[in-house]
Amino acid sequence: MNDFAVAFDGIKRSGRAAEELLPLVYEELRRHAATRLAQESPGQTLQPTALVHEAWLRMFGDGNCQWENRAHFFGAASEAMRRILIENARRKSRLKRGGNPQRIGLDDIELASATPNEKLILIDEALQQLRELDPEKAQVVVQKFFGGHTNEEVAVSLGVTERTVRRHWAYAKAWLFASIVGQP
Amino acid sequence: MKRPGAPCEADLFDVASKLVDDEREAFLERACAGDDVMRQRLETLLSVGRRADEFFDEIGATLSFSGSLVPLVKEAAHAADLLGEEPIGTCIGRYKLLQKIGTGGCGVVYLAEQEEPVRLRVALKIIRLGMETQSVIARFEAERQALAMMEHPNIARVFDAGATKRGLPYFVMELVRGVRITDYCDQNQLGIRARLDLFVQVCHAIRHAHQKGIVHGDIKPSNIIISLHDGTPLPKVIDFGISKATEARLTDQTLFDASSPLVGLIGTPAYMSPEQAHLNGMDVDTRSDIYSLGVLLHELLTGKTPFDAKQLLRSGSDAIRQTLREITPPLPSRQLGELRSDELIKIAERRQSTPEALTALLHHDLDWVVAKAMEKNRDRRYETANGLAMDVRRYLENEPVLARPPARLYRFRKLVRRNRAVFAAGLAVAAALVAGFGTSTWLFVKERAARQRAVAAEHEEARLRHQAENREKISEAALLVRQEKYEESDELLQRVVLSQPSVEGAAVLRAVGGWYAIHGRWRLAADRFALLLTLNQRDGMDTATLDQLRYGPALVELGDGAAYERFRDELITRYTGNSGRFAADRIVRISLLLPASPPVLDSLNPLATVMTRLFTETHAAGDEFLAGWQSLSVALWEYRQGNFTGAMVWSLRSLSYRDAANAPRPTMARLILAMAYAQLEMPAEALMEFEQSRETIEAKFKTRLDRGTPIQGFWFDWSFARILLREATGVVVTPAIQP
Repeated sequence: MNDFAVAFDGIKRSGRAAEELLPLVYEELRRHAATRLAQESPGQTLQPTALVHEAWLRMFGDGNCQWENRAHFFGAASEAMRRILIENARRKSRLKRGGNPQRIGLDDIELASATPNEKLILIDEALQQLRELDPEKAQVVVQKFFGGHTNEEVAVSLGVTERTVRRHWAYAKAWLFASIVGQP
Repeated sequence: MKRPGAPCEADLFDVASKLVDDEREAFLERACAGDDVMRQRLETLLSVGRRADEFFDEIGATLSFSGSLVPLVKEAAHAADLLGEEPIGTCIGRYKLLQKIGTGGCGVVYLAEQEEPVRLRVALKIIRLGMETQSVIARFEAERQALAMMEHPNIARVFDAGATKRGLPYFVMELVRGVRITDYCDQNQLGIRARLDLFVQVCHAIRHAHQKGIVHGDIKPSNIIISLHDGTPLPKVIDFGISKATEARLTDQTLFDASSPLVGLIGTPAYMSPEQAHLNGMDVDTRSDIYSLGVLLHELLTGKTPFDAKQLLRSGSDAIRQTLREITPPLPSRQLGELRSDELIKIAERRQSTPEALTALLHHDLDWVVAKAMEKNRDRRYETANGLAMDVRRYLENEPVLARPPARLYRFRKLVRRNRAVFAAGLAVAAALVAGFGTSTWLFVKERAARQRAVAAEHEEARLRHQAENREKISEAALLVRQEKYEESDELLQRVVLSQPSVEGAAVLRAVGGWYAIHGRWRLAADRFALLLTLNQRDGMDTATLDQLRYGPALVELGDGAAYERFRDELITRYTGNSGRFAADRIVRISLLLPASPPVLDSLNPLATVMTRLFTETHAAGDEFLAGWQSLSVALWEYRQGNFTGAMVWSLRSLSYRDAANAPRPTMARLILAMAYAQLEMPAEALMEFEQSRETIEAKFKTRLDRGTPIQGFWFDWSFARILLREATGVVVTPAIQP
């Protein structure tokens, strides 16, 4: 049994979240992402699907895959994707405010002039606040937005109904946006 | 900043967002009831709604989730649903679904029909696990050669495997109509003897499979179907190769969640051997099947499994493991004694017996046979399925069973039972004459014969014990392999006389050889593979083609061209004809690793023809994984023959099948393509393809190779690619540099 399978077993036993899985998934994804980013010409973006697919194969290619692992895996993969995308965005943007999540509201013009990478960072910073207040809604954002999951998939992963996912997502978007544009 | 995000804020937002204008106004007024801060927050959130949507849509688009994770997650999301159901009339591969004939936890079984090449009705089983379909198929593929070698009236053939359009693995099997063995026995009120006769047939089927190196892994009543042939019941063991391909294993999830699709696949832990239930149950071997046969025998005799299936499931996975590892299962006769009397009467009636007679019948011999088959320590079980069958036969013929340690009284009792009439007469004579010379001499002769049989049985036992000791060493070597102590494992293996083919021994040789190969110790690697191939051959089985893919590159890397040629010629001779049918493409590929002379090419011709036909079939069946490899072999074949246009076309075709971009197969295809371009005097194209493959291969070898997987390529695939790379360097680069 590889580390990964051991980790899974531990996670299920302790009933703790996919965070414990994260380092492993993250490590895998980051290694691939680094290679990809090095190869990619400017303007091209990351293809999360391909990355996750490869990570999955590397970890489960030897047959240690079982379907119940998937919900964990994709939860962790979404979180890993978020980190990779944000790391990437920070490298490429002028907004290097990591570690200082002091909120500064942006007006519409500032927001309109921000690059996509900068906007991504803004979303992520707001997300960290939402995470503290309401982890479940933050998780919906991570899986839907950064992980690229459908409502149905998020619902399966979090064990809630699709309707709940839709509601959480609508609320979270408004909440995050309001936070980004500095409206209390 | 305020403290937003309280649950009620989200709820209010949800309701309010669905309302408009006045209604919304009124709602907020009422809901916030004077809480101005809340009111203001809600209005802000509601007012940014559309802009927020646009904002997220815009950024989301730049993340290019065009494909998203959907294809992967779908499998998981749908696993619990009715995935695996396909409408009647659907074509899957070259099979048309005619009728649903069964649903189990693990999948759906259909009656299906193949029209080409011959009209054939089959059973098609769709596995509805959200597993890596390609891995399932690759694992099946790895075992396909061995499966194809099984030819036994009591084994249902597995013909084919593939992926449905929805990405689920399916298996195509011989169609068997009938009922499961336990139901058949009960419905027909078979007595113990008749049940044992059927059981012996099952053992013979399992023995046949074990001799071919196949472990069933999931022996249970629902996998043993009785059908009638001319009024005679014929047991057929189904699902060979499937439990291995799907790697059914005991996990917490499968147990706690009764709706989990794995429950059906694993069936019930009641038939699972202790080592199978163990978490890292990787080294499950033939002896695990012996255990399951023991459980089956127990159930045929008593109508119950030794451990209650439902109770086990309820107790949770740790408790199951503990039970299977530590609790001694009740003996069959003992278990009958613990039943309610009405239940016991019913069970006895179904065996045309009475509670007392049935209990007495099972007491001793059959108890012992079951107990020996179900030993916790697999070294103490029957060594082979045949051993188990023989002991049952001994019971049926009133001879001493091996399961019982020899004791004089016991043997004497057997002797008396076998010769009851003679004994009765003998006693009468003895009473009359005190010493009846004639009779006692005759009895003496009979007893001597019985003793000789017993001695022969003991010899057999000694031989088996010796084998068991060997096995123990091999098991230890296997353990060392799992601990990645390859050299120690190898050393231990040297001390075992590996004359008997054994699945586990082969696995150790394979692992140790692979380890040497990864470390570039090619002489040691090649020697291990040579031994492995000899053992495979001695066993009369040809699972061997993957092993041959190991041996070939090892010899070439070692630089022993002569040995490679000998190996190649042997390979071609052995596999030309029927036995090479399923593996033609591999044999061609391994034979053409180095350029070949015209006579060699001529000798390969028949296999090449088979290979091309195989490709057409797999392509038609939509099996991309296999078709990719087969077209690669055709490309190499064309190239070696000097048909460079053909080589170009076929390598491009191989490249058109999806695969992880850096996997060895496309890399090899690219190299052949590069060489073909070079020969066709297209140096620029040649160089481009060459460079791309060179980079991939160099990157792969920069860090040490790992064993690899069927999907990403095994080390020997990469080794193969590197050998081709060396050749291509000569063909593509050297002429480009020279004027």
